[in-house]
Amino acid sequence: MGMLRKIGRATLGAIEEFLYSLGFFAQVLKESALLFRRRQVGFRVLVNQILFTGIEALGIAAAMALAIGAAINLIGSSLLAEFGQGKLMYTILIVVIARELGPLLTAFIVIARSGTAIATELGGMAVGHELEAYVAVGVNPISFIAAPRFLGVVVSLVVLDVYFNVFGLLGSFAVVQLLRPIGVDEYFRSLFAVLTPGDLLSGFVKSLVFGVIISVVSLYRGFAVERSVTEVPVAGIKAVGSSFMLCILADVVMTAIQYLG
Amino acid sequence: MATVPKIELRGIRARRGDYEVLRGVDLSLAAGETLFVMGGAGAGKSFLVKTAAGISIPDEGEALYEGKSLARLSAREEAAFRKASGFVFQDAALWANQSLFDNLALPVRLHEPRWGKAEVERAVRRAAELVGYDQDLRARPAELSSGERKLIGLARALVLDPELLFMDDPTSVLDEASAERVPEIIEALKSRGRSILVASASSELASRCADSVAVLIGGELAARGAYAEAAAWTEARVRAVTGRLKARASSTPAWAGGLAGAWVSAFAEDTRIAEDLPKADGPDGMSALGDIINDVGEGKDEP
Repeated sequence: MGMLRKIGRATLGAIEEFLYSLGFFAQVLKESALLFRRRQVGFRVLVNQILFTGIEALGIAAAMALAIGAAINLIGSSLLAEFGQGKLMYTILIVVIARELGPLLTAFIVIARSGTAIATELGGMAVGHELEAYVAVGVNPISFIAAPRFLGVVVSLVVLDVYFNVFGLLGSFAVVQLLRPIGVDEYFRSLFAVLTPGDLLSGFVKSLVFGVIISVVSLYRGFAVERSVTEVPVAGIKAVGSSFMLCILADVVMTAIQYLG
Repeated sequence: MATVPKIELRGIRARRGDYEVLRGVDLSLAAGETLFVMGGAGAGKSFLVKTAAGISIPDEGEALYEGKSLARLSAREEAAFRKASGFVFQDAALWANQSLFDNLALPVRLHEPRWGKAEVERAVRRAAELVGYDQDLRARPAELSSGERKLIGLARALVLDPELLFMDDPTSVLDEASAERVPEIIEALKSRGRSILVASASSELASRCADSVAVLIGGELAARGAYAEAAAWTEARVRAVTGRLKARASSTPAWAGGLAGAWVSAFAEDTRIAEDLPKADGPDGMSALGDIINDVGEGKDEP
């Protein structure tokens, strides 16, 4: 009986938290839509978020993209050649980089850098009663703190994905030049020949969804901190774990819809 | 006709996990009243004041501002309430990533969007001077001692000359000289008819400033009455809280009128909130205020 009660309580608690997080998400969406109409617009927060999440992550995104693009080309060109399917290299590059790895790896970069930063920063503010102080002077923390960070992360992730794709394809091109030198024109003409609007749309939608997931989860975890400083690192860890899980789950669902739908 | 209280709490209940912080508290603060909520550590004073200010949300009951539930205020009404009220946090609660100046300026920029840079700066400097802080306002809160942070927190609550002030343990972590300034400020506010709700365990502060006293014990309201009645409370657990309250000869010290008068002038000059109030002597409100602050503050450094 005791066990059943515990399971029941845990289930009810999980449902309650899920509904609460949905309400939180709706509130963040609403305040983000109103962001540009409000007096207390957090433009500086938005700009800082884009700077931190997007601009400052360019270096690591570029390095990772160059390496991944090169690796795919190295592995693909040797394997595909064995089956006489060398021309599929361009299709594989587009599918792997633009559709799959681009959005997912940029999401991982953003989770590791910005997800933890947002959750722990907000957690620290909650412990220091800074969020209460905003409420006391009449600033809505959702519109002033959450909305600009939400928009900043989403915009940054979409832009980072484009950037990742460009560098991934450039990395592949660098390897091509080493193994079997061809002209820039030929390389990119072959790539664009297999590139479809669906590939671009797929990458864009995934980045958008991942951006929403990472920002909302991190904000939610940060705001959930109540009293103790020991809750702050826990919030960071939970933000990372939940964001990873949800992004992978969303990726599987979107890929399934794309290929099976 | 009965006057509507400035703040009213009805049947406030709040839980934190398995612990019940407040157990059905009813309390009201009349316009112009200074009410001290006293009690030991963990009695629920901070939560009560935060609930009254609409910062903490109770599990049951409601907080009303001039008869309207804080939970049901429109956006416009809530903005008016926030502009008209100030909150002094127990631990200052300054925004760590902003300079002291921006900490003080944010409420002004938010509620007085048409003010220019010069007006905002004047309001900020006046508030800092009022609490006796004369250091560099470009510093970040992390560079300050906890006492200095508390002073800036007090200044932030006063920067818009609120008609309603909530104070959560206003003298904690302050040094003796700074703590001495708090009752002076409360008296100055009282003489201007401001309503003040203070959560404090300090009998010393309550003895100097309270019009009325409420005693919280274990989340329940154990007693509530005028300051003069508090001495007559006989219940042992209440006496344990109020026992050291002192008999008062006069409710308003003579010096308070001077500080209050100068303050009225400063705000009337700068914020246009009290345009019909009498002006103090002096070339402008700021300098008159500065003179009085220097005269009144004991043991303060010269600016």
